[in-house]
Amino acid sequence: MKSIKVLKLDQIHQSIKMDELTMSIIRKNILRILKKLFLYTFIVCMSYILLYPVLFLISNAFRAKEDLFDPSVIWIPKHITLANFEYANLLLSYPTAIKNTLIMLIPSVIIQTFICMMVGYGFARFRFPEREILFGILLFTIIVPIQTIIVPLYVKFRYFDFLYLGRLIGLITGKPLTVNLLDTPWPFYILNLFGMGIRSSLYIFVFRQFFRNMPTELEEAAKIDGCGPFSTFIRIMVPNATGAIITVMLFTIVWHWNDYYVSTMFNNENLPVSVMLTILNTRMSMLQAAQGFSSDDIYLLGSTVLEAGCLMVMLPLIIMYIIGQRYFTESIERTGIVG
Amino acid sequence: MKKFSLNKLNMNRVIGRKKLSLREREAMYGRLFILPWLIGLVVFFIVPFIDSVYYTFQKLSFGDNGLEFTYIGLENYIYAFTKDPDYIKNLTSSITNMLYEVPIVIVFSIFVAYLLKDEFKGRTYARTIFFFPVIIASGVVITVLKENVLGSGSNMVGSATTIFRAENLRAVMINAGIPRWFSMYVVDIVNKIFDLTWRSGVQILLILAALHNIPKSFYEVAIIEGATEWEKFWKITFPMISPTVYVAIIYSIIDYFTDYGNQVMRMVVTQANNGRFEYSSTLAIVYFVVVMIIILIVNRIIGKRVVYLS
Repeated sequence: MKSIKVLKLDQIHQSIKMDELTMSIIRKNILRILKKLFLYTFIVCMSYILLYPVLFLISNAFRAKEDLFDPSVIWIPKHITLANFEYANLLLSYPTAIKNTLIMLIPSVIIQTFICMMVGYGFARFRFPEREILFGILLFTIIVPIQTIIVPLYVKFRYFDFLYLGRLIGLITGKPLTVNLLDTPWPFYILNLFGMGIRSSLYIFVFRQFFRNMPTELEEAAKIDGCGPFSTFIRIMVPNATGAIITVMLFTIVWHWNDYYVSTMFNNENLPVSVMLTILNTRMSMLQAAQGFSSDDIYLLGSTVLEAGCLMVMLPLIIMYIIGQRYFTESIERTGIVG
Repeated sequence: MKKFSLNKLNMNRVIGRKKLSLREREAMYGRLFILPWLIGLVVFFIVPFIDSVYYTFQKLSFGDNGLEFTYIGLENYIYAFTKDPDYIKNLTSSITNMLYEVPIVIVFSIFVAYLLKDEFKGRTYARTIFFFPVIIASGVVITVLKENVLGSGSNMVGSATTIFRAENLRAVMINAGIPRWFSMYVVDIVNKIFDLTWRSGVQILLILAALHNIPKSFYEVAIIEGATEWEKFWKITFPMISPTVYVAIIYSIIDYFTDYGNQVMRMVVTQANNGRFEYSSTLAIVYFVVVMIIILIVNRIIGKRVVYLS
């Protein structure tokens, strides 16, 4: 009798315990589901906001003339056409423009990433009296946009002499030796080589933050093994900074690709693709001659051709991003770019 | 090859002539590392900048021998501050806008980065979407888009686009008895959501990377000690990502001020395109003195609170 009672009490006790346990599990589950629900709603909403412009572009770029004023066409056009892309290809001189962009972009990206990494390392790991002041100046150079100094820079590259050597020669021969670097990609290469390219200061800042948070043990070990500062940098720091390098490189590619202000100033011919896009509207009359369109047609086509052009300019970046993004996000995860 | 020659140089210095102290040697190498930037700074920044400042005291005209200068003293500055109808107005409004837009961008980026940090189904997709603005937001495409496509022909780059305007919200809020200034403020932010999300791609990226860099052991200790999620965030996560948040704040401020859509920047560019380089330089230089002061203040306030592990 007694033992049965005890057993019952025990059972009751256990069942209460079970109840509490199940309750807490249920509560946790509900919380988790709510969290998930919130997460996915948020992501869907954000996706709509962020993808809207591209979806809009795609929807419009494939539209034929008939669909432009058809109120029943909202997203999916009834008459799908590739004509807009053909016209945009003609107006942008797409292959040449892409070639011009790449000639400017590839060396610039490599030079810029390396130089910024080096300077960032210098700021992060060496102490010297004037470092703080120079770093303050670096911050200042980030916020002074190129517009402030573009006119003097234009003059500088029109009559370029390396480190005033040309002018020194000029003092002797009476005729300064200068080179006209406009309409070549050299202004970009030179600016990047001296850490003054598009947003170079920002990348220096990013690399400095990154190196500052790397453990010092690696360098100490290298020093003990007899590495000088430069070989330590090349052999130890660079391989360890892969994540930061990839991220900065992605940014440098994007910003060089998208730049149009500097390119417009330094180039009159050999225009890169971004500049071609800005003048696409003014070149619409080319279509008139080539296709025999009336000016009304041109007016109608104006926006769809521009939208097709936008897509074509973005396309290489988007492809690069889709291919590279997995590697890119993984590398962030592995090493982190900024501590 | 390079390593050898440099080491030799170093050895000569050490043995041959004066023996450099460790500190002096470190300083020398530091200067060598930043040398390219230093040359660039002088040749491609300071000299052109001084030229630009010189322009502000001149009147430029296109004569027979190219540009011609006439000294006019402070005329340009006086014009900017007393006669230009837009400059002071645009300057103050862009500073006040910055004061609330940057915190929103930062909080939003931390929030999104925190969401994207943990593993869940479709995370790769979500990340691809969230970093997408980084690729096109910086460039000519978005300007063209805003001017010709989304903004229905209005030239207000940087203003809210028509799809995400909340005109009715203001009326609802005012009718509900909410103070007018507050509802204006909320509506303003809602109108800018599109713009702000497009601007936080880089910041999300930076903060996400920092989140992944926090050692897991910190959290393990915290769980053993019985810390709640809230405590974990404020006592571990936030201090650990503070250097990056600091970078993100500076970046956002700069990005806001140098954006092509910023009203003052637009004035600067328009004046330069109209050939009034001297006035354009004047506006730009006054502007960047102001921005520099703001950055220094922010640096003073935040810089000290940043936690560096090493």
